[in-house]
Amino acid sequence: MSLTGTGPAETRQSAPTSPTARSMWRASRMAILLGLLFVAAAVVSVAIGGGTGPSRRLDPDDTSLDGSKALAQLLRARGVSVDRADSVTRARELARGGDRLLLITDTSFVLDPAGLATIPGDRVVVGDLYRLDLLAPGVRSSAQAGERSREPECPLPAARAAGDAFMGGAAFTAPRGATGCYPAGDDGWTLVSMPNAGGTTTVVGGGEFMTNRRLAEDGNAALALNLLGSAKAVTWLVEPPRDGTGDTVAGPAGRSIYDLMPPGVPWAVAMAAVAVLVTGLWRGRRLGPVVTERLPVVVRAAETVEGRGRLYRARRARGRAADVLRAGAIDRLLPRLGLAPDAGRDEVVAAVAARTGQDAVQVGSALYGPEPADDAGLVALAQYLDTIERTVGEH
Amino acid sequence: MALTGRAALVAALGVVVVLVAPQPGAALAGVCLVLAAAILVDLALAGAVRPLRFHRSGETLVRLGQRATVELVVENPGSRRVRGVLRDAWPPSAGAAPRVMRLDVPPGERRRLTVTLTPTRRGDRESVAVTVRSVGPLGLAARQGRHRSPWAVRVLPPFLSRKHLPARLARLRELEGRHPALVRGQGTEFDSLREYVVGDDVRSIDWRATARRHDVVVRTWRPERDRRVLIVLDTGRTSAGRVGEAPIPLAGAPADGGGPVSGRGARPVPGWPRLDWSMDAALLLSALAARAGDRVDFLAHDRAVRAWVSGASRTELLSSLVNAMAPIEAELVEADSRGMVSAILARAKRRCLVVLLTDLNAAALDEGLMPVLPQLSSRHLVLVAAVSDPRVADMAARKGTAEEVYDAAAAERTRLDRRRITARLRRHGVEVVDAPPDDIAPALADAYLALKAAGRL
Repeated sequence: MSLTGTGPAETRQSAPTSPTARSMWRASRMAILLGLLFVAAAVVSVAIGGGTGPSRRLDPDDTSLDGSKALAQLLRARGVSVDRADSVTRARELARGGDRLLLITDTSFVLDPAGLATIPGDRVVVGDLYRLDLLAPGVRSSAQAGERSREPECPLPAARAAGDAFMGGAAFTAPRGATGCYPAGDDGWTLVSMPNAGGTTTVVGGGEFMTNRRLAEDGNAALALNLLGSAKAVTWLVEPPRDGTGDTVAGPAGRSIYDLMPPGVPWAVAMAAVAVLVTGLWRGRRLGPVVTERLPVVVRAAETVEGRGRLYRARRARGRAADVLRAGAIDRLLPRLGLAPDAGRDEVVAAVAARTGQDAVQVGSALYGPEPADDAGLVALAQYLDTIERTVGEH
Repeated sequence: MALTGRAALVAALGVVVVLVAPQPGAALAGVCLVLAAAILVDLALAGAVRPLRFHRSGETLVRLGQRATVELVVENPGSRRVRGVLRDAWPPSAGAAPRVMRLDVPPGERRRLTVTLTPTRRGDRESVAVTVRSVGPLGLAARQGRHRSPWAVRVLPPFLSRKHLPARLARLRELEGRHPALVRGQGTEFDSLREYVVGDDVRSIDWRATARRHDVVVRTWRPERDRRVLIVLDTGRTSAGRVGEAPIPLAGAPADGGGPVSGRGARPVPGWPRLDWSMDAALLLSALAARAGDRVDFLAHDRAVRAWVSGASRTELLSSLVNAMAPIEAELVEADSRGMVSAILARAKRRCLVVLLTDLNAAALDEGLMPVLPQLSSRHLVLVAAVSDPRVADMAARKGTAEEVYDAAAAERTRLDRRRITARLRRHGVEVVDAPPDDIAPALADAYLALKAAGRL
């Protein structure tokens, strides 16, 4: 065999295929333009929106829809001073001034709920808070109530004067001596007012009516002012900012780990980030394309036969297996015995018995007998058929 | 552009510098600026990749299992030295080595690189791209660019059965007889007249010629020559099944070698597709038939004609056959036997030996070939050659446990079907060769020689 045929390739001219700076600019200028537009739009929207970061729900300084700055402004306009307190210590200090109302909208950050509960004076609790049993003993949340406009249906002056209000969230059971307002069907009350040691404790199911979004609806503003404006001053308990200046754990002498670090470390971390970036660029650049190719299918021809074997096995198809083994054995025996392909049963059995010297009944039951009773019988049959074939072959 | 490990190292050292510097902020800015400036300088000073020119030379044909070398000449017409690495990307089954080569071409000069291909699969393999990364003098950054430098290598079937050729040629010579036969028999044709020598059979004296020549002349005979053999390769789905053990590992087979059994559950490594074994047998048969003086045509067909070789001269027959076979892959569709038969009838006007390389799959043959076989066998002598699966024979022989007996029954069923379809084909006057993969080529050659000896061509 000679390998002199014309090759499929001739020497052809090479040509660069990587994009030039110009073509890359042409291809990507639209994307770059769109990216710049997007960044500009984001910058403008943040600048206009004030950039207050994420909204803080029910915070007297928050101007977002979920905040409560509007309510705080209304209170201040009515001569009530509103003080934010982001810790129990601060709230207690403020309470020393006397005649203060404590507004609690969240207790999940409070490390000492029992201490909070001991602060004297009026108290408004918003929502089914953690350790509500300490803040308003006897009031228990009984069900979830949808937030919607509800009627007061109670003798509490603050509620009667305000009329309908957007109430809901949690429904409470009122203890003895307490007043329940804004009922949520038969589940309980969404506002419960009860006397405590030094004043009144009011529990409302949700604070939605105090947010900037809802304050102008129904009698929401009236209800909020009636509840909070009764005192000269309001201590508004808010979550401390999460930048480590609040009640966070500090080391000895109040110095955090950041204070103890040498000044170069944060800069070195920034440099390490640059080094990681450079390493990524070094390792990430591929030398040439990933080459793909269409591979032929890999399928073994015997798979169908193996599959059929597994089917026989799964169904314990002894009868079928025995029939096939017998048919195969007879098919091979016939030419060796010199019989025609359409030889009958008696003829075959007689010829095999004569050639092998075995009992004709036994040979007959092996070649034409019934289905084996169990797997052991099938194995025995298969091996006996092998023996017959071998003996016929030898003689 | 690309950065190097050296740039990453410099950046990592910068971390230490920033850590110990009295003014870490300024140090950070300084290190970053110096690194960026060095990278830019390096990029500016690196040899340009775009103007490089590539020329190729080397082999375009290689037999499967052998190595081919392709040379790549890199010419640098630029004014700066191009130093770095080069990758000549080929498809994985081309087995190109080395994957990445060092490159150092001074301005205005050229360098020769050699790529060795060890293909693991038949067919055409083309170089996809040449990528050059030219590193700057500082070794911090590199320019990278890609070129297209086309070159294709056709990987031919290996023709492993050529080791059987000498024995078959000896049989053929025996058959022809170096001494032309004097006995006229079936399957012989008139060869020549020669002078009578003592010992020749007097019955072979040609009296008419003797009268003309004033000398006693005898006729001599030889086996028929110039018969036609049409080898038809079925490339349908049944030819994709892998049987036996691959003499040369093919792409797609597990590469973990180590004997015929590997992986979980002792699953045998898939061997060669039936198609490749059939090609091997076809090559041996055509080599033999060409030597015997017969004309060989080749047709590959599944639902359409995949390859057709006709009228190749005896010396060029094998090279044109392997060239035609090289790109053929098994198509995963049912072969169209009706179309195949009409393609054969359209091409073979005179009576010829049609060697059909397919699988004796009862279901496929019942649906496809059997109904149209009479059309073919009435005009031509048909020989069906099929590769049997040694795994089936192995399964049929094991009867130790109940599980093995069930498998043996399934294998027996397959063999029974095969024997029955063989018997039916023979009743139609079709010759059948059914042999395991290692024996199919010599068995087919022997069948051809037997037909030739019997004068049935």
